[in-house]
Amino acid sequence: MSIIVKKIVNFKINGNDASAPEGTIIIEAAKEHGFEVTNLCYNRKLKPFAACRTCMVDMRTPDGKKELVYSCTQPVAEGIEIFTATEETDRYNGACLEMLLVEHPLDCPICDKSGVCPLQDNTEALQLANGRFEIQRRNEPSDKSNPLIEFYLNRCIMCGLCVRACDEIQGVQALDFHQRGMKTMIGTANQEPLDCEFCGQCITVCPTGALMDMSSQERGLAALFKTNHTTCGYCSWGCTVQVETKKNKVARFVGDETNNLGINEGNLCAKGRFGHGIIHNENRIKSPLMNFGGTFKEVSWDEAIKTIVGRVQAAINRNGPETVAGIAGEKLTNEENYLFQKLFRGVYGSNQITNLAHMRAPYINQFMIRCFENGINSKPVTELEKSDVILIFNSDLPSEYPVGGNSARKGAIFTGTDLIIANPRKVIFKNESNIDIRLNYSLGSDGSVANRISRILIDQGIIDVAKAKSAIPNYDEMVQSLVPYTAEATQSSTGLSDEVLTRAAKRFGRTADRFILIGNDIFDTGQGEDVLNALLNLSILVHHGAEGSISIFPPREHCNSQGVNDMGCTPDFLPGYRSFNDSDAISSLKSEWGIDALKFDNNNPANDLIENCTNGTIKFLHIAGEDPVHSYYKGADIKNALQIVPFLVVQDVYMTETAQMADIILPATTFAEKEGSFTNMTRHIQKVTPATLPQNQSCTDHDIFIKLAEVFGKEFNNSSVSEVQDEISKIVPIYKNKLPGTKSEQWIPDGFKKNPYFQVTSMHEVAKPKEGFPFQLVSNNHMFHIGSYTHYAKALTDIGPDCIAELNPKDAEALNVIDGDRIVIESTTQKLEVPILISTVTVKGMVYLPKNWVNVPVNMLRNGEEGPISIKISKAN
Amino acid sequence: MEAKETEIAEEEIDLAPVHAILDSFPSRDRRYLIPMLQKVQGVYRYLPDKAVQILMEALELTRAEIFGVISFYPGLLITEPGKYIIKLCYGTACFVKGANIIANKIDECYHMRPGDTDETKLFTLQTASCLGNCGAAPMAIIGDDTHGTIDPEKTLELLGSYKLEDEPEQQPEEISS
Repeated sequence: MSIIVKKIVNFKINGNDASAPEGTIIIEAAKEHGFEVTNLCYNRKLKPFAACRTCMVDMRTPDGKKELVYSCTQPVAEGIEIFTATEETDRYNGACLEMLLVEHPLDCPICDKSGVCPLQDNTEALQLANGRFEIQRRNEPSDKSNPLIEFYLNRCIMCGLCVRACDEIQGVQALDFHQRGMKTMIGTANQEPLDCEFCGQCITVCPTGALMDMSSQERGLAALFKTNHTTCGYCSWGCTVQVETKKNKVARFVGDETNNLGINEGNLCAKGRFGHGIIHNENRIKSPLMNFGGTFKEVSWDEAIKTIVGRVQAAINRNGPETVAGIAGEKLTNEENYLFQKLFRGVYGSNQITNLAHMRAPYINQFMIRCFENGINSKPVTELEKSDVILIFNSDLPSEYPVGGNSARKGAIFTGTDLIIANPRKVIFKNESNIDIRLNYSLGSDGSVANRISRILIDQGIIDVAKAKSAIPNYDEMVQSLVPYTAEATQSSTGLSDEVLTRAAKRFGRTADRFILIGNDIFDTGQGEDVLNALLNLSILVHHGAEGSISIFPPREHCNSQGVNDMGCTPDFLPGYRSFNDSDAISSLKSEWGIDALKFDNNNPANDLIENCTNGTIKFLHIAGEDPVHSYYKGADIKNALQIVPFLVVQDVYMTETAQMADIILPATTFAEKEGSFTNMTRHIQKVTPATLPQNQSCTDHDIFIKLAEVFGKEFNNSSVSEVQDEISKIVPIYKNKLPGTKSEQWIPDGFKKNPYFQVTSMHEVAKPKEGFPFQLVSNNHMFHIGSYTHYAKALTDIGPDCIAELNPKDAEALNVIDGDRIVIESTTQKLEVPILISTVTVKGMVYLPKNWVNVPVNMLRNGEEGPISIKISKAN
Repeated sequence: MEAKETEIAEEEIDLAPVHAILDSFPSRDRRYLIPMLQKVQGVYRYLPDKAVQILMEALELTRAEIFGVISFYPGLLITEPGKYIIKLCYGTACFVKGANIIANKIDECYHMRPGDTDETKLFTLQTASCLGNCGAAPMAIIGDDTHGTIDPEKTLELLGSYKLEDEPEQQPEEISS
């Protein structure tokens, strides 16, 4: 909750006593108390608009005066009495609705919205059977000029919900009202093809079938689709999506705005809404494949599993269990990742499991644990919209966590949330906050920004310095480490004036509920650990030295990047971040797994997996649903390592570059065919429900691990998803009673020792481009793509077909290129050619290139280089 | 205003006046949008796309927003109008007395519906809700001149006279160039 506490007012509604916080509008208060008021243009995520005039209620003021008011705009007040759905209000509301029905076609049998249509529901609620007016339908053709969202304006009732959602929720304003009077219509400027973020929020809020999702093959009668709710399998925000199926085939994904369902209030992004093309897809791996000298041949599951087990056994017998390693999947469920580490630790006797995020940034779990040790548990992300200030650090929110951006914008409107956006790119984030501080710092000076803010908090006494000092033992050491961050030094390294940093510090330091959202871009700064520590120190300072609260989360990329670590898929931790020295943890695992010995030495080759594959230490590698060849930052090294490793098993949905190097490929399933749970970056454990059966001969990762254990001769005692969940609940304390995740609860840190302590960092030089390579390249996920699957979703490649580099207008001018021209990008190791887009988001001397295209291997450009990649660019011939 | 005609070859236009207009306002605030649009139209007789683009960026508006405003006002044009704008009154009195018949006649001869510009770019036809001269219905304003109690034939004659008036001006220019 925000620090501003609202007064509670008492009133009566339909004769019942009721109360609500001051400022609550009548329609919400009525709903709270069980009375629905008819309406068409109200949505609790948006500002009141009062366009449809169908939500009138009868209000009596304390002095008995009767007033007919619109419940979507009138706030409750002390002593008032409200009557809903009286004969009189029904008459007025009905008349307005009747006029809408003059124009609205009654083509319900072929309308996508039929059955879930507020216009239908309200017509029924007001018992409007035969209208009094002559029917005058519009006859506009449907507009399919963009690939995903169909406009059928004959059904439009001008409620303005789409226009407002586009503006207030998404901050894009691609839609508006055009013309006026009878001719008014919603749409784009001059009916140009829609070109936007394609979040589809307009489809969700549309109360009629005027805006429709064209990505679906199945049209019509939403009410006849089978629906279930699952957690999105793309980014780590963890949105709940409603999956609609027809005849066992996924038809489409829909945002469900039901209150308290998941964490996203029905908001989705382009990937989450239109990315269902990966489920029923011709290009999926259809059966297990075995590599015979470079060509893959189909084999049976039995043969594939037996071969794998034979190779594992041989490797263990000849070279010991530590030569058998696995990379767990950031897109696998918690249950699957749990079984994966159980397979390695409990069955193979090897502790050599890791995950790509851990390989890239081994300090990230430690960072999270340090937050807990300092008493910073962080609030659920559902509170983000009720916070007072959000620091968005090196994250391009609309691309990275689009729905997080939605919550921040809602906070700005309804709570008065202020924003501080720190990013080396001039990222676009339109919002309605009163204070919106932009810290557009020089590339690579992330740490200086955070440390200077900390120093200002102390120097200017914005926080209670004495309190902070008494709470943290190494306070003085930390203060000492901040000495170099003078106003002048910081200005020269970050390019930010001290005045703007002071404004940011003052806003952040004063009493507030604060959130810090950190982008995955910090891993590419070459100083990720120090940046995280600087932000942690800042958090500790306000946690102890200022009123309010602080919530900070480690950056995570994929849907279960948090869960894969929670489940202990790293060599450093047992499930639940328990140490190998924790005898309770070891003994509970031993008894639960039914094994006598669970002891690993401290030699963990998986901590340097690439090196140990390359030097021949690792004899067998099992990769579950990851494509490191394309996504890992040491592109050439990992490719080389995978070539050397004697036996490579890859289980995945699509034939990735990694899969092409495997000895055996096992076809796995997408998240829509799985049961289990994902844990999002803010630690909400959320249910994953299968919407359809595994396609072709594919198997869930869950079943693959069960089979491997069985054929190995050490069958798991628990095999069904619910049994595994019970097992996790028993032996992973932080997951106790949280599964199956139906309630979207956040796990609460438990069992972490209290140890308030600053992580002292030293000052970094801002990385300069290498000699002869004057530009610096930054890269992250494209707005429409993430991971290795989205390129198989037709809808997403329709809106994001090409990998386009972004260049500052000044650099473009110097290079004499215009939008669409091709340039050659060359690093010390790789050369490639891409088209460009001129954009002021990218600052001078910087090139931005999304990392999601297979034909544009950004990780080969980088090839292990830490920090921004030094490149040179030239116009292509 | 017709939205669909985007194929007009916009020659290089001098955009300096747009910047000057922007600078003439106390701040670049969206509350000045309408006077800015009026002034820009005052310079170019319509709103060239490039000029709108500059306003969009200066006022931080999106394309949909700024065109939402422009399309609300029939007085704001996004295509270059003919030399004379014909405002044909469609008010109740004029309509009853046959304004739409006049419109049909104009369409027959000049191939333009309300909102269109004729091929020679001499006339642009617009309709108006009421021009306040009902006593002389049906009436129209052509360029700056008001013409009352017109009929289809008389309208064509009138348009013909504007055409004649226009031609002698053009000819010497053509010779000199």
